[in-house]
Amino acid sequence: MTRPAAFAAVLLGLLCALPPRALAQAPRQDLVLKGDAQCTRCHDENDDTPVLAIGKTKHGTLADGRTPTCTSCHGESDTHANKPAEARERPKPDRTFSKTSATPIEARNEACMSCHRRDAARSHWQGSVHQSRELACTSCHQIHTQHDKVRDKLTQTEVCFSCHKEQRTQVSRPSHHPVLEGKVVCSDCHNPHGSVGPSLMKRDSVNDTCYTCHMEKRGPFVHNHEPVSEDCMNCHNPHGTVVENLLKARAPFLCHQCHTPHGPNVPQLLGRQVVPNTVGTTGKNPINITMARGCLNCHTEVHGSNNPSVTNPTPQFRLR
Amino acid sequence: MRRSGQVRCKSILGIALAAAMSPATAQDAGEAAALKKPDSSVSIGASAASGHERDRTIFGQYNGLREDSGNLLLDMDYVRRDDGTGMWTVVRARNLGLDSRDLGISVQKQGNWRFSADYSELVHHEIRTINTGLLGAGSATPSVVRLGAPGTGTDVNLSLKRTGLGLSGDKWVSGNMQIEVSFKNEDKDGARLWARGYDCASYVCTGTQNAANTRWALLLLPEPVNFNSKQVDAKFNFIGEKLFVSAGYYGSFFTNANGSLNPTVPNQLNNAIGGGPATLNPAAAGGTSLQDVLQLPMGLYPDNQAHQLYVTGNYAFLPKLRSTFKLAYTHATQDQDFASMGLGGAPAGRTSLGGVLNTTLAQFGLTSRPLPKLSLLADLRYEKKDDKTPIAAYNIENTTIWNNSHISNRRLGSKLEAGYQLPGATRVTVGLDYNQITRELPGLDVDVAGLSGLRGRTEEITYRGEVRRSISESFTGALGVAHASRTGSDWYNLCTSAACATQGLVYGGLYSWDQIYQRTATFPLNLADRKRDKLRLSADWLPMERLSLQFAAEVAKDDYNPPSANGLRSGGMTLLSVDAAYAVSERWKFTAYGSVGDQTMNDADRANYVADMKNTNTALGFGVNGKLSGVLEVGAGATYVKDVTKYGLSPDPATSANNVLQNAVGLPDVTFSETRLGIFAKYAIDRKSDLRVDLRHIISKLDEWSWGFNGVPFAYSDNTTVSLNPNQRETLLSARYLYKF
Repeated sequence: MTRPAAFAAVLLGLLCALPPRALAQAPRQDLVLKGDAQCTRCHDENDDTPVLAIGKTKHGTLADGRTPTCTSCHGESDTHANKPAEARERPKPDRTFSKTSATPIEARNEACMSCHRRDAARSHWQGSVHQSRELACTSCHQIHTQHDKVRDKLTQTEVCFSCHKEQRTQVSRPSHHPVLEGKVVCSDCHNPHGSVGPSLMKRDSVNDTCYTCHMEKRGPFVHNHEPVSEDCMNCHNPHGTVVENLLKARAPFLCHQCHTPHGPNVPQLLGRQVVPNTVGTTGKNPINITMARGCLNCHTEVHGSNNPSVTNPTPQFRLR
Repeated sequence: MRRSGQVRCKSILGIALAAAMSPATAQDAGEAAALKKPDSSVSIGASAASGHERDRTIFGQYNGLREDSGNLLLDMDYVRRDDGTGMWTVVRARNLGLDSRDLGISVQKQGNWRFSADYSELVHHEIRTINTGLLGAGSATPSVVRLGAPGTGTDVNLSLKRTGLGLSGDKWVSGNMQIEVSFKNEDKDGARLWARGYDCASYVCTGTQNAANTRWALLLLPEPVNFNSKQVDAKFNFIGEKLFVSAGYYGSFFTNANGSLNPTVPNQLNNAIGGGPATLNPAAAGGTSLQDVLQLPMGLYPDNQAHQLYVTGNYAFLPKLRSTFKLAYTHATQDQDFASMGLGGAPAGRTSLGGVLNTTLAQFGLTSRPLPKLSLLADLRYEKKDDKTPIAAYNIENTTIWNNSHISNRRLGSKLEAGYQLPGATRVTVGLDYNQITRELPGLDVDVAGLSGLRGRTEEITYRGEVRRSISESFTGALGVAHASRTGSDWYNLCTSAACATQGLVYGGLYSWDQIYQRTATFPLNLADRKRDKLRLSADWLPMERLSLQFAAEVAKDDYNPPSANGLRSGGMTLLSVDAAYAVSERWKFTAYGSVGDQTMNDADRANYVADMKNTNTALGFGVNGKLSGVLEVGAGATYVKDVTKYGLSPDPATSANNVLQNAVGLPDVTFSETRLGIFAKYAIDRKSDLRVDLRHIISKLDEWSWGFNGVPFAYSDNTTVSLNPNQRETLLSARYLYKF
């Protein structure tokens, strides 16, 4: 080892051995946030929970006078910064945000909401199911990183599915919105920060939310189909199904939950008929209500028809 | 998390030196600046897929990887901030080489103004392939050509492409006032599976049906889609010390370039057993032939629009007493001219529906924490949908005429909830929800088909409770239960049979369920009485610092009480899931999950069958990520999903002997399974660039019978068939170069 290298090694060893207070004797510069010098004398990118990447985020934009300091969120934390002599372990900051934190959820969230209450998207956080179930903002959001998983279309579901297990399974079914593909995300339909709609729907109702992408089904039509107008989820499961078009069940089983059928038809398949079709078999036969699109083979306009014709056969049964 | 009070000797060394030996050096300043500089990256590569596109229709229905075996992979994140001004410039691009591409540009002076533009494309490829002789498939004027035999036509793959452009911006006009505006335009083009079928009523067409003549036909006619939708939202936000209020306008506008589908249909199609050709039956007196019926225009979605004005926000009466509110009024119309849609025959005096739907919404919520351990919540929501569409005689069936119907309703929803923190880190929450829907019943001149009764009002009360307890710092468990009961008003009788008349039941009269009861009646699932019970158990456990476990179990059961043996009688679900994450070291991390569950529906069709349907689902996942060295990261993942639907057909006691036998034959299970295996390796060429290679193998199996079973295809009347490769296997190799700057 050369002499300069040996000198550097000794210096390095000394620095490593120094207690934090010794280093703090010298005036320090803030690294990423206003007033962070007191914290960054100990905390850095190599902590188990790296902290300095917050400087790369909106929170680290010093030119915006609203952005926080470390203590804005974590509290002044005097005893953490200056460990009392009698303390065996260094006390934790006033507010911590880890999963096992002892800080009450309300206090944790207040650290965020004291600023983000000003966002229109969070106007109904108070009283929302996530708020009343005491979900912490940091249950979903990562603050000290430029890449907050829940705000990235490709990774958002990883966060949501950590609680919503049933939906995790449903989006893998063959009939699904392109959620796993990263083109539609939970937050396209739901506002996790609270809304006026049911199930945290982004708009005021299930249907109003669906209409943002499927506006053609809004109508009203000459021939309405009332359950369609009332709630899309009467027939569809938007998270995914095995039946095409996200239907909860295939026709005729779905349709038979409300409607009487065309005579004594038991759902059956070609090649498995006890009484096979003949050339005289009516069109309202059990094959035609079971196979292909089932009931929708004829009742095409299931969402409603705007055909005004009074010519027989009229479109009142959503035939055209 | 900091491990101890000791400063660790790592990258902070340079910074410590700077602190101890100020002034800082240029290098130290550079390192400090690097900590604040947002990361940018660009990734370019290519992927190669094995096999034919029909081997990946399920996997590739949305991701842009279906059509071509080779694809360009190009992503970019450009994020820059001017530290002096707080100006951000962000450009994000995803899948630029695929038909599922996204491109977004955002410029923002943080805390002052923001503008962004987003462009997006998404193609949904139909997973099935159509074999048909149809000419002009996907147009508004297709021409049906009967094939000599199934499978001898042209393969057609339908798809729908969405192209979206969004513009949005906001501006803080003062410290407590902000304006936000957003606009989104989306075009949707393509075609989707659709059909037309008709079984000729005797008053429409006549003639016998035999091998050479038919009175019904089914045709696959893709729906032409050429939609445009626009949405604009403009709001003004005021933020006071206690009040946040947002007032704005939301408009949404839909237009369809196609008003109707006008097929050309030959006069000869298959007979009832797929043979033929058979001649379509001629017209009855005053009617029209089956060919003419099949050529009648089919109405496509009409243009519609809605305008909403709203005021929403929250107000803090006290720091511990807060409220939320919203008032909104929406005026929606649908008044597209029938003639412009190519639809004739409207009732005299009507050139359009003149549809008007006015919706008023009011919501008010209160949350309070009167004691540190007690939280209270109350919420009231009222929505009135008022259908002002003019009534006219649109419907004629034979000689009977009815009018169109309204979809007016009123919804009242309320919620009361209390949460209390008990000793021992236990929190108890109890709640009561009440929801009521009042519907406008049809007039006596409105026909409602295929139903036995309607209900003007349904109301549901839900009682719920949850106990959440942190047994230790590392274990939290929760148990939630809910019981809901839905009842409603008397039923609006729709029965016109002689049996009903004998009972004195009048069409449109209101009766209790036992008065209206018939064994052959069906009462809609959204109106029938229902009891719903739910139980949910969950736990989070950190048995050691590096291991986390999560358990969830859920059971729910619905019991319907329709006053009939028909319709949906019960439903249920169970779910059990376990998740685990284990960090063996800082270098190696494992994750795994597994869940099993089922959903059930008991559905009866009186005098025909009882279907005891059960859908069983299994999902497994495993992932590992590790660093083999400072420059080489590797990982592997596997997911498996299996979904089995059983139909459980059994005969209704009143069914015929043949139907008893047919129920015994039943329906085969529908099975879907998908296995995805993937491995990757990422090599850090230097501090700024990586090379990543991914290898994925996907096996998708869909065994179902909608379009054919056991080699027997379902053929439409022109011998059009629809098929899917039921066993799809796909191997995908991709390599990317990632440059960070």
